Amino acid sequence: MRPGAVVEVDRNTPPTLFHYGEGFRLERLPLGSRIIYPPDPMDPIGHPERAIRRALTKPIEDDPLKDLLRPGMKLTIAFDDLSLPLPPMASPDVRQLVIEEVVDMAAHAGIEDIQLIAAIGLHRKMTADEIRHIVGDRVFTAFWPDRLYNHDAEDPADNVQIGKTSNGEEVWLNRRALESDLVVYVNLTLVPMDGGQKSMSTGLGCYRSIKEHHTVHTLLNSNSYMHPPDSALHHSCIRQGQIIEDAVRVFHIETSLNNHAFPAIANFLQKRETDWTTSDQAAFYALKQATDLAPPDLKRTMFHSMLAPYGMTSVQAGQVDKVHDKTLEAVRSQMLVPVEGQTDVVTMGIPYLGPYNPNSILNPVLVVCLGLGYLFNLYKNKPVVREGGVVIMSHPTRYEFHSVHHPSYIDFYDEVLADTTDSAEIEKRYEKRFAEDPWYRQMYQQSYAYHGVHPFYAWYWAAHALAYLGDVIVVGGERSTVHRLGFKAATTLEDAFEMAEQTVGRYPSVSHLRTPPLLLAEVE
Amino acid sequence: MAAPAWYSGSVGLSALVRSLGGALDDYRKLRRGFHWDTPRPAEWPEASNAVPDRPTTLGWARMEPVRSLRWALQKGMLMPFTEVMAHPKVEGEEWVQELHRPVILASNHTSHADTPLLLYALGDRVRERTVVAAAADYFYSRRVIGFLTSLWLNTFPFARTGGPQEVLNRSSQLLKSGWNLLVFPEGTRSDTGALQEFRPGVGHLATENRVDVIPMHVRGAHRIMPKGRNVPLPAQATVRIGKPLKVGEGETSRSFAERVEKAVHELADGAESAQVTGSWIDRWQATAPRKTRR
Repeated sequence: MRPGAVVEVDRNTPPTLFHYGEGFRLERLPLGSRIIYPPDPMDPIGHPERAIRRALTKPIEDDPLKDLLRPGMKLTIAFDDLSLPLPPMASPDVRQLVIEEVVDMAAHAGIEDIQLIAAIGLHRKMTADEIRHIVGDRVFTAFWPDRLYNHDAEDPADNVQIGKTSNGEEVWLNRRALESDLVVYVNLTLVPMDGGQKSMSTGLGCYRSIKEHHTVHTLLNSNSYMHPPDSALHHSCIRQGQIIEDAVRVFHIETSLNNHAFPAIANFLQKRETDWTTSDQAAFYALKQATDLAPPDLKRTMFHSMLAPYGMTSVQAGQVDKVHDKTLEAVRSQMLVPVEGQTDVVTMGIPYLGPYNPNSILNPVLVVCLGLGYLFNLYKNKPVVREGGVVIMSHPTRYEFHSVHHPSYIDFYDEVLADTTDSAEIEKRYEKRFAEDPWYRQMYQQSYAYHGVHPFYAWYWAAHALAYLGDVIVVGGERSTVHRLGFKAATTLEDAFEMAEQTVGRYPSVSHLRTPPLLLAEVE
Repeated sequence: MAAPAWYSGSVGLSALVRSLGGALDDYRKLRRGFHWDTPRPAEWPEASNAVPDRPTTLGWARMEPVRSLRWALQKGMLMPFTEVMAHPKVEGEEWVQELHRPVILASNHTSHADTPLLLYALGDRVRERTVVAAAADYFYSRRVIGFLTSLWLNTFPFARTGGPQEVLNRSSQLLKSGWNLLVFPEGTRSDTGALQEFRPGVGHLATENRVDVIPMHVRGAHRIMPKGRNVPLPAQATVRIGKPLKVGEGETSRSFAERVEKAVHELADGAESAQVTGSWIDRWQATAPRKTRR
């Protein structure tokens, strides 16, 4: 595997690819800028099924799964939802392979009472097809819909408070999970933020437990969320997770993937520009022209049909914290890129997809969440951009929302952001009303809408970046929308650099995050 | 939202000129930026493939938008044409209506008309998830023919002479990715329309991947387009689908291939069989879990 690299732009450097929503831009960065490239994909495990079986029979600091299964017991299998991985994985999804193995063992043990729960937390419910894609045909036809379903964080009968942490944080859990003799959690970790104690405490929790750590204060003290030891969010999740472990017998299974995020048709997105062959250049040219001309709906359909040929790089099972440590090791070895020092400006292309819009629209609030929440936080030690520096993102940032998936986002944008963009102010004045709104609750429970409070969390996700940065500029963004978000709009990258100079001074140092595929910058 | 004004530059002739200008600009950026007219700059690191090798050949034929295009071609042209030419009668379609796992579909082979008839019998859902093994030395010796065949019928090159390992490597990947595999274990079309001896490859595939084999039989395709004729003629055809066959504990690939051959013979003679029912555990165990070699 070729490690990640930091490449300095010189006269001969080819133009650099910027993601631009459902499209691309090819930009020339100023001489002396540096481009941070992710490592190439690690070699996947050759026989994933065999590795899964080995992990289940030789777990870390726990008994083999077979020994925990007995006839007459109540078994619940919970699994991560479609917010992971991105883009969705080409069939078979690793969760399918793991769940099939667990169900197989349960069948051999003669367990009749088994249920599978998609741990969606406050995310939208998944459709039958989306669940089928994750668990595979065999599991789906055997269990859907009575024994395979989405967690409902708003059903009072389905959620039980099990205690409080030493810091007074409430802990709630899905009733079925709580009443089970054994909960097997099947996780997929793409970035270090995922997995561990966070899986159960958020995935099977409800608003009252999730709001304990999804606050502006916690997120401002999570520097960054991608490095759990420095993240107040994760500390809170661990405290909640320990209460859950005391109440329920949990057998935790985690998997990690390499970063092979794009199918063969879009190989050029996976490669550094200096590696582009003639056919990569031709593919880029054809796709660029097609995406420049096609209407947004068509482009969206095209992009969302892309499935990633991810390969599994590790699987481990057993006690949650021990398992998670091992998973993080595997994830870091795939993502980590050493970077020397910070720069005045960081540029990033915002792609078409974030964790909260699979098969949906990346609305303006989610653009902020993805750019300043996720991509900005892809660091260890300190951000790639210096304090008071400027982030330049490229995205069309159109005023468009998915009315089924994101109804509360529309009102958040129209009503809340029109009033203020200050996270603390928003939290204080608006969060409770949206979170308890019966109409949003109804749409979360009966339709496929994100929870009413979700746009707030998406916005808080960027709170750390907003407090830290001097300015944010969106290249190619719709001016009125960008202004509503509190940022500046630029037509071209050159204009954006001119505007950035107003904040950071002449001849700023520049870094470009060439992602996705994802990377984690270890800044010294 | 109001329609943009004529002078905004985003409609009509000015939009066309702008998009042409954009295309030209992109072309220029690529030509200059990637040094089309000069050698690769010395300071660029050595070129790397960066992307792991693809597990199977012709992966494009199973990706979007090719899948949607093929679906439209088959639904709009191939299936109506098959219906008109053969008025196919399908028996035993219940065996392929509820497929939980990838399976191998093994049929007799008398004509190029077999594949459309078999795909017709599978129904939309299964057909969409089925790849057809096509002789690599026959269909893929010329690129254009291979391309069109893959686009039209979702075929992949199946080496008739490469031995079991070659067959396994390519086909196992497809089965593991959730694709059903339609194979003709006789290896080539029958000259007379009569069943020929089965090759053991189907047994190797099933035992290595622990998947079921569904025997199928086509009657009448030989009359539509026998070997040596290039133009089809209308004739009635019947497709019979048999009960899925499971690899027995300790059963060798060769003996399993013989069992498949026998099942196809029985279909040719008109034999039928029964279904599996029970609790979720029975159903689960009956659907043959995916297992690699232990």
